[in-house]
Amino acid sequence: MTSILEVQGLIKNFGGLRANNNISFSVQKGELLGLIGPNGAGKSTLFNCIAGVYNVTSGRIFFDGREITNFRPYDVSRLGLARTFQIFVASGDLTVIENIMVGSFLRTRSRKVARERAEEIIELMELKDHVDHWVSELPVAAQKRVAMATALATQPKMLLLDEVAAGLNPTEIDGMMALIRQVHFDMGITVMLIEHVMELVMNISHRVIVLDSGNMIAEGRPEEIKQNPEVIKAYLGERFVAQQKAQQKGA
Amino acid sequence: METIRNIFDFSDFPRKDMAVFGLFCVFLLVFPLMPHSSFSMATMIQFLMFALYGMGWNTIGGYGGQVDLGKAQFAGIGAYTTAVMLIRWNVPFWISAPIGMGFAIIWSFVIGYPLFRMRGHYFAIATIATSLVLLDVFQVWNFVGGARGLEIPLKKMPSFLYLQFRNDAYYYYILLFLFFIGFFYINWFRKSRLGFQLRAIKDNEEVARSLGINAHWCKIKAYAIATSFVAVVGSFHACYNFNIEPEDIMSLDLSILIAMMAMVGGAGSLWGPIIGAAVLVPMKSYLGSWLGGKAGLAGLDLVIYALIIMVIAAFEPRGIWGIVEKARRRKQS
Repeated sequence: MTSILEVQGLIKNFGGLRANNNISFSVQKGELLGLIGPNGAGKSTLFNCIAGVYNVTSGRIFFDGREITNFRPYDVSRLGLARTFQIFVASGDLTVIENIMVGSFLRTRSRKVARERAEEIIELMELKDHVDHWVSELPVAAQKRVAMATALATQPKMLLLDEVAAGLNPTEIDGMMALIRQVHFDMGITVMLIEHVMELVMNISHRVIVLDSGNMIAEGRPEEIKQNPEVIKAYLGERFVAQQKAQQKGA
Repeated sequence: METIRNIFDFSDFPRKDMAVFGLFCVFLLVFPLMPHSSFSMATMIQFLMFALYGMGWNTIGGYGGQVDLGKAQFAGIGAYTTAVMLIRWNVPFWISAPIGMGFAIIWSFVIGYPLFRMRGHYFAIATIATSLVLLDVFQVWNFVGGARGLEIPLKKMPSFLYLQFRNDAYYYYILLFLFFIGFFYINWFRKSRLGFQLRAIKDNEEVARSLGINAHWCKIKAYAIATSFVAVVGSFHACYNFNIEPEDIMSLDLSILIAMMAMVGGAGSLWGPIIGAAVLVPMKSYLGSWLGGKAGLAGLDLVIYALIIMVIAAFEPRGIWGIVEKARRRKQS
């Protein structure tokens, strides 16, 4: 297996605050990697550094065999690394299909081709009922799917998902889980996701990375992470462990 | 082939809209043949000019959401290029207008590059500043006539090449021709790749950048497109008026009027600038002739524009067309 994304010794300071401290990890081609940690641990900062929103203080980032350290966001996405945003604010100027077409226009100049690709993705993401609605009119779950669909329309090799399950109810979380699996298996896209919904991360990730106040405190398979005492102390909490045990007993 | 089909693609508008627009086009075509006063002819020419100005502004200001209040400088560049070339070297309008457009586009790149590093109000204020600086330069630059401006000498015979006619109807039809070119270009533009990218930038610039859009460069390109519209109308203005003064063609008043056309009619919609010009230009002409004669009331029309801007900003940022669309959606649901 070859790595598609590699982060080496990444440090990001905001003034006196160190948001990411010496973080190194790599993502294998075809992997599904979870990134968890308490609020303020530096997860989004890490995403923003990789996606080119922030310039790093030091360290290097490689994507698909090329160094992308301090690239602009549009250059990163042109290379095939797409992302979604935690807060997807739509002012309502674009309809669902138009929004997705913006993504597909990255790889074509033709209106017809862009529209056809957007329609394919709409089919895939089960957004058919919403095609001509304004994004701001949709329920949260559908808005998140639009955000994902738009990112997918840029035909990425890898997708960074920032809290796609936040604010969803249990049924919608199941739907989102199935969708991420579909993107990963059927489209063959490497996925890295930030998530607070443990059920989702632990279920679908091959590997999980844990951040706490800017440091990477653990890395491993979901089962290992669940039992890691440091992670339990910093993030999961004793209650989560008790819950898991109760569930295991029940099963 | 696809491009040609796209230019005439109005499929996202209801039939009724197209019927209304078709009737309006017929009216535009036959207007000079119907009995009319010279005042109403002058108003119609003003309408077409401002509709074109507004269409240009709408690309960057409407679709791109970058409120530009410095468009008059480009009208000035177009007008001065045509006038200077005609007076000094006897160059016909049809050659000098594209050259003026070229100068204006170059200038738009020069100032667009730093301007678009700014956002929102800062951008708007900076565009005003650049326009006023250029106005000052032209007022002291003797080569182009300084503050007194330029007078275009009349040819002995009416001439299509130099755009000099005894009858306003000829000006009208040339302008109408430009109007249709502009209109169909915008119809293509709004659904083109650049059009989509601009609307995405207006929606959320950070998200747009993550989708592979170089927002800065997109804005500069749209700015150049807006500029070419304005510059051509500026060139036309020089030939039509026979006289240009920096205080007139490059004034802040003109910049604001250009922006108002699209804002009142509906920024970011195809019909916006046309509706805006159809409402504002007659209003401006009649208010001007009515109030202008009364001592002490000469500035009142400006007060009225200011009021209109405030009402739009407060109640319906999408202008008149926004009101129509809202009513339609309410009817549907």
